Amino acid sequence: MKSIELDSVSKAYGNETVLLDFSLDIEPGERVVLLGPSGCGKTTILRLVAGFIKPDSGSVSLDGQVVSRDKRILVPPQHRKLGMVFQDLALWPHLSVRGNLEFGLRAKGISKNEREAKTQKTLELVGMGGYGHRKPDELSGGQQQRVALARALVLEPKVLLMDEPLSSLDLELNRRLRKELVRLQEKLEITLLYVTHDREEASHIATRTISMEKGRISSN
Amino acid sequence: MQKRTISYMVVAVFLLIGLAPVLSMLINSIVAEGRFSLGAYSSVLTSARQWNLMAHSAVLSLLVSTFATCLGVPLGLLLGKTDLPFKKTLTALFVIPLLIPPYIIAVAWVDFLGIQHLKGLWACVLVLSSAFLPIPMLLTMIFLRTINPRLEEAARLVSGWAGVLKTITLPLILPGILLGGIVVFLLTFGEFGVPNFLRYDVFAVESFTQFSAFYNFKAATASSVPLALVTLLVLLVEARFLRERTYQIRPTPDSIQSSTSIRLGKEKHFWLGMASLLAMALVIVPLLVLLLRSEGLNSYTQALERAGHSMVRSVTYAFWGATLLTIMGFFLGYIIHTKALAFWRSVDSFTIFLFALPATVIGIGLISLWNTPWTNFVYGTAAIIILGYLAKYTALTSRIMVTQFAQVPASMEEAAHISGAGWARTMFFIVAPLAKRGLLAGWIVAYIFSIRDTGISMLVYPPGHETLPVRIFTLMANGSEQLIAALCVLMIAATLVPAAILWSVPRLLAKRKVP
Repeated sequence: MKSIELDSVSKAYGNETVLLDFSLDIEPGERVVLLGPSGCGKTTILRLVAGFIKPDSGSVSLDGQVVSRDKRILVPPQHRKLGMVFQDLALWPHLSVRGNLEFGLRAKGISKNEREAKTQKTLELVGMGGYGHRKPDELSGGQQQRVALARALVLEPKVLLMDEPLSSLDLELNRRLRKELVRLQEKLEITLLYVTHDREEASHIATRTISMEKGRISSN
Repeated sequence: MQKRTISYMVVAVFLLIGLAPVLSMLINSIVAEGRFSLGAYSSVLTSARQWNLMAHSAVLSLLVSTFATCLGVPLGLLLGKTDLPFKKTLTALFVIPLLIPPYIIAVAWVDFLGIQHLKGLWACVLVLSSAFLPIPMLLTMIFLRTINPRLEEAARLVSGWAGVLKTITLPLILPGILLGGIVVFLLTFGEFGVPNFLRYDVFAVESFTQFSAFYNFKAATASSVPLALVTLLVLLVEARFLRERTYQIRPTPDSIQSSTSIRLGKEKHFWLGMASLLAMALVIVPLLVLLLRSEGLNSYTQALERAGHSMVRSVTYAFWGATLLTIMGFFLGYIIHTKALAFWRSVDSFTIFLFALPATVIGIGLISLWNTPWTNFVYGTAAIIILGYLAKYTALTSRIMVTQFAQVPASMEEAAHISGAGWARTMFFIVAPLAKRGLLAGWIVAYIFSIRDTGISMLVYPPGHETLPVRIFTLMANGSEQLIAALCVLMIAATLVPAAILWSVPRLLAKRKVP
C-alpha cells in the first residue's frame, strides 16, 4: 500500500494553473524531495496532501484511503495523521514550547501524565529537553527549527511534510539539521515528503528526488 | 531637512488644535480671579451626587462594553472567518448604527417601544450596545486578517476548528478584542446624548448641563477634568498591556487566506438565519420604524423647511472637516509610520487620547481657548466646529494612513529620491498616489464621523451655525414625532449617501477598465 498517492491531480488559482494532471506515488519509509524553482507547484502538493486545499480534479490518497477527490475534502486535516513543518515554522507565539507540543495531544484527548511524558520524550529526541518552558521568541533560529520538528513528531505521524524548513538558516546549521533529520526519519521509520529549491539539500536528504517545473515532473 | 521642517510644522499645528484647548481648560479650572484655586474641584469632589454620577457612568460603560464585546466578537468571527453567504451585505448592515449619532437609534427605539418602556440604565445599555457593536465586530475581523494562516493550519493538522479557535485564534486576537472593549468603554463614558434622552444621569451629562443650562463654566470645566483623567488612565492601561502584544502581523495572499476560512457546511443556513435575525432586530427594525413614523412627504417637507439650512451646513462642514482631517492624517500617519520625529510615539498616543476624550471635554477646552475678543474670527465662525473635528477625529485618519503606508514599500520613496526628487515632490507625486486608497478611506471615515458629531458641535456652534444633529437634538424637546423621525432619516441619508457614492465610484471605474 502506498503511503502517499496523488492521481491525476490538477489545481489552479484563478486563471493560473499550478498543477496539471500530476501523479505521484510514495512508498512507506521513503524520503522524497520535491525540487524546483518558486511557483512550480511544490508547496501546492504539500498543501493538497495536508488537506488545506482541495484538488480541482484528481484524487489524493493516504495509506490507501482517498482523502480528497474532485473539489472535495473527504478527510479533514486533523484526521489525516500527518506532521508538518512550515517554511516559517508557524510556532504559536503565545504558547510555550511545551504548549506548542501539547496542543495536539490535548486535542486527541490524551491524559495529562501521558502528555507530559510524550512531550518531554519528543523534546529530548530533538535535543530541546530543557527548553519546554520557553516561548518561541526566546529561542534561536536553530532551536525554533527543532521545536517545529518536535511539534510535528509528537503525535507520531506516519507521514511528515516539510516545506523548505531549513531555507532561512545559515549553511552550517542547515547541514547539521538535515543530518539530524535523516537520523530521526530512519529511527522513526516515517515517510518524508520534503520541499526545497536547493539541489545540495535535496541530494543529502532524499532517497528519491523529483524535479518539478511548471506544475509537472521534469525528472524522477 | 525639508521633511523634518514640515513634520515639525504639522505637529505644531496639531498641538495648537488639540493640546492647547485641553491645557487652557486645565489652567482655567485652577485659576479664579487671577489666583490659583481648587475651589471648583473641591465642590465637584465633595459632592455625593457627583460620585454617584461617576458610578453611573462606570456601570453603564462596563455593561455596554461587556455586551458589545460578547456579541461583537462571535459576530466578527462569523463574518470574518467563515464561508457564511451574504457576508458583505451583513457586515455593511451591522456597521450602519456606528455611522449615525447614537441618539438617533434611541429615538427609533423609543418610537418603537414608547418612552414609558424604554428609559433608564438598561435602555441606555440596549441602545449603546447596538450602536457600538460594530467596533468589537470590526476589530475582530481586522485582527483575524492579520493572523499568519500557517499558525492556524499547524493547529488544524491535529484539531478541529473549535479547538483551533479556542487555543490559537482567539488568544492571538485577544489584544484586538480587549482594544474593542476599551474603545466601547471610553465612547460610552463620554456619551451624553443617549443617557440624556433616555433619562439616565451620568457624568458626561453633568459637565454638558453645567455649561449649556447654567453657563457655569468653572463647574463645567472642573467636571470635565475627571472625565479626562479616567480616559487617560484607561489608555495608560491599554498602552501598558496591549500595545506590545501584536504578535506576528503579516498580510497574506488571497489564495492562501481562503484556506483558513471555516466551512459551515450544513449549518450555513442556521447561522445565516441567526445573523439575519440579529441584523433585523438591531438595524432594520429601528430604521424601518423611523421610516414608517415619518409618515410621508409632508413630514419631509416640514423637516426641510425647519432644518434644511442645518443639513446643508452639516454637509459643508463635514466636507471641509474630512478634507482637512485627511491632510492632517496623511502627514501625521507618515510621521508615525516612518518615525520621522523622535517623539513620533507621543504624537500617536496623543491623537488616540484626543479621540478617546469625551466630546464635552474637547468642546469646553475649545471654548476656554478661543472665546476671547481677539480670536472671535475663530470662535464666532464655523472654524471652531471644524477645529473640534480636527482635534477629536485625527486619530482615525492618521491610523488609516499608517496602515496604508505599511503596504507601500520604502523602496518606492527611495527610488524617487535617487531619481533626484526632493521630499515634498516625492510625497506629492509618489507617496500620495500610492496611498490613494487610504486617503479615500480616510476621507470617507472622517466625513462620517464629522457629520454625525453631536458632542463638540452642540457645545461650540456659534449662532447661525447649528448643524443637523444639533438641530435634531434641540427639536426633540418640542417637535412632533413625525418631524423628528423625518429629520433622523434625512440625517442618515446625509451621512450614508455621499459616503456610499464616494466608495462606489472608484470601484465602478476600476471595473470599467477591465477588458
